[in-house]
Amino acid sequence: MDRHDSTFGVQLFIYDLSRGMARQLSPIMLGKQLDGIWHTSIVIYGEEFFYGGAGISSCPPCLQGGTMLGPPDTVVELGNTEVTEEIFMDYLSSLGETTYSGDKYRLFEHNCNTFTNEVAQFLTGNKIPSYITDLPSEVLSTPFGQVLRPILDSIHIAPPGGNVISSQNNHS
Amino acid sequence: MAENSGTDPAVETNIEENAVASATIIKVTVKTPKDKEEIAIAEDSSVAQFKEEISKRFKAQQDQLVLIFAGKILKDGDTLGQHGIKDGLTVHLVIKTAQKTSGAGSSQTSASSGPGPSQGTTAGSADTSPAGNLGTPLGTGPSPTPTQPPNILAGFGDLSGLANLGMGSANFMELQQQMQRQLMSNPEMLSQIMENPLVQSMMSNPDLMRQMIVANPQMQHLMERNPEISHMLNNPELMRQTMELARNPAMMQEMMRNQDRALSNLESIPGGYNALRRMYTDIQEPMFSAAREQFGNNPFSPSRTENREPLPNPWGTTDTTATTTTSGTATTTSSTTSSTTPSVSNPLGISSSSLGNGMFNSPGMQSLMQQISENPQLMQNMLSAPYMRTMMQSLAQNPDIASQVARPSFIEQQLMQQMLQMFAGGTASTQTPEVRFQQQLEQLSSMGFINREANIQALIATGGDINAAIERLLGSQPS
Repeated sequence: MDRHDSTFGVQLFIYDLSRGMARQLSPIMLGKQLDGIWHTSIVIYGEEFFYGGAGISSCPPCLQGGTMLGPPDTVVELGNTEVTEEIFMDYLSSLGETTYSGDKYRLFEHNCNTFTNEVAQFLTGNKIPSYITDLPSEVLSTPFGQVLRPILDSIHIAPPGGNVISSQNNHS
Repeated sequence: MAENSGTDPAVETNIEENAVASATIIKVTVKTPKDKEEIAIAEDSSVAQFKEEISKRFKAQQDQLVLIFAGKILKDGDTLGQHGIKDGLTVHLVIKTAQKTSGAGSSQTSASSGPGPSQGTTAGSADTSPAGNLGTPLGTGPSPTPTQPPNILAGFGDLSGLANLGMGSANFMELQQQMQRQLMSNPEMLSQIMENPLVQSMMSNPDLMRQMIVANPQMQHLMERNPEISHMLNNPELMRQTMELARNPAMMQEMMRNQDRALSNLESIPGGYNALRRMYTDIQEPMFSAAREQFGNNPFSPSRTENREPLPNPWGTTDTTATTTTSGTATTTSSTTSSTTPSVSNPLGISSSSLGNGMFNSPGMQSLMQQISENPQLMQNMLSAPYMRTMMQSLAQNPDIASQVARPSFIEQQLMQQMLQMFAGGTASTQTPEVRFQQQLEQLSSMGFINREANIQALIATGGDINAAIERLLGSQPS
């Protein structure tokens, strides 16, 4: 490792995919209060990484107008990491080939938040806030969620405006 | 290796002071992106030894291994204890691939390595806003392709489009009103929404719709006023029917026309006319005022208030008789185009046309429709009151029409249709009819129908359908 002991800040960008609708409609539709439909991404080395129907993607973080989701609802500091970009990209490539390829995307069980949780742990040892990872089970525990499940399972959220990371690419 | 030789005094992590005692074996999970293994190792070993074990297990070279724990890279000289690695914890492993990727990676890192240290230091100084660090053009290869198919839109698309509509309000009623307004201004949206499979499957679940409707505070208000609404809501069959109707606008149109016809035939029955009129006023009164509260101002232009004033009567007063003479015919045109001046039996000047299509096109009824649409059974229940019986008696004498009306969902189906028509077609009624039907009016006048008022009436009654309007205009000529 020729890298000196520098650390990089790791942030978690949290987006509400429903743009506030969930907060208003969830009590009615689900019977419980959900403040949002959370999509998250990890921001490190000045780039935003997220998992979607197209696999792991990266783009300049939203503040520079990256994904189409606009500015994040919340930004959480996950801490610092010594992991260099090089290592991280290796790591992501491996992930992208195995557990986080595009076709493994499942809206409820294996989604962007699963990815960010894992990456966060890799980078900092911390997990992402639990209200995000608990969301799918919260939804599924309502009758409405059960009804919608077949439909939602087929939805792949793939925010455009990113490059897919794969082992073939030279680290987009 | 002697005991705890590697333990530095300057230990910042929470390690047990004397992790000595020869080698207590701990089991550490080593996780790669691809898989994970449990490795038993002495608690006080060094990272180098750990890597040795790992390289055996993972069949990789020791210098390819990068171990990460709690965000720190474990260097060979460290010990496990130094980093607080204990039994049962997970350490992440990245196996560096062959040089070429790291070569590419290094070209990138070299691009960023210039400002890299500054990046590192700014990151270290607790200011980690990526915006600040983007002095580095990370030169990420191909620029982001915006053409990536937005799969998200396939599912949530229209709904999230809806979500963007005036989302500032926290008040649900406000939200609803805003949605209405948006829907009104964009008739396409409703059909888009209807086509959305999400919505459709939602609609096919009556329980769900019932829940949604019940939760609406306005509905609850209505329910207080009329407990029969809750009966309606508890009838899944009815809800299903209603949802079917709501889902299929074409079907709605069809049914609407049928029932317009049926209803206007009703007028010609002795007694039926009065019953209809009573029905209209009795229901329309409370509903309209209720709807008024909701809508605030009547969104429709003043020229379209309910038919309290006599509509202009270009064909002369003989039309009142023309109405009754056409009772036998199935066609609605003649009986519904005429307008009536106020007479003794018709003090409000409610013409037959208003009771036919016009009745349901008036803004009062339209807002009523909207209320009714949320509780189709309401109408029926209310109608099962006295005047309905009168009507039924009259109808009994005329079996044809009786069969049409006797369908329990007759009224509310009609109203549902009207509601949808209002949404889909009449949304433009925020403008005056003259403006709405500008084009049609021109067409009509070029065809020789110079009576603008009559044209407008006809167009309104037919919802802008030129051919039907022409039929009306032609049929209304006393032949």
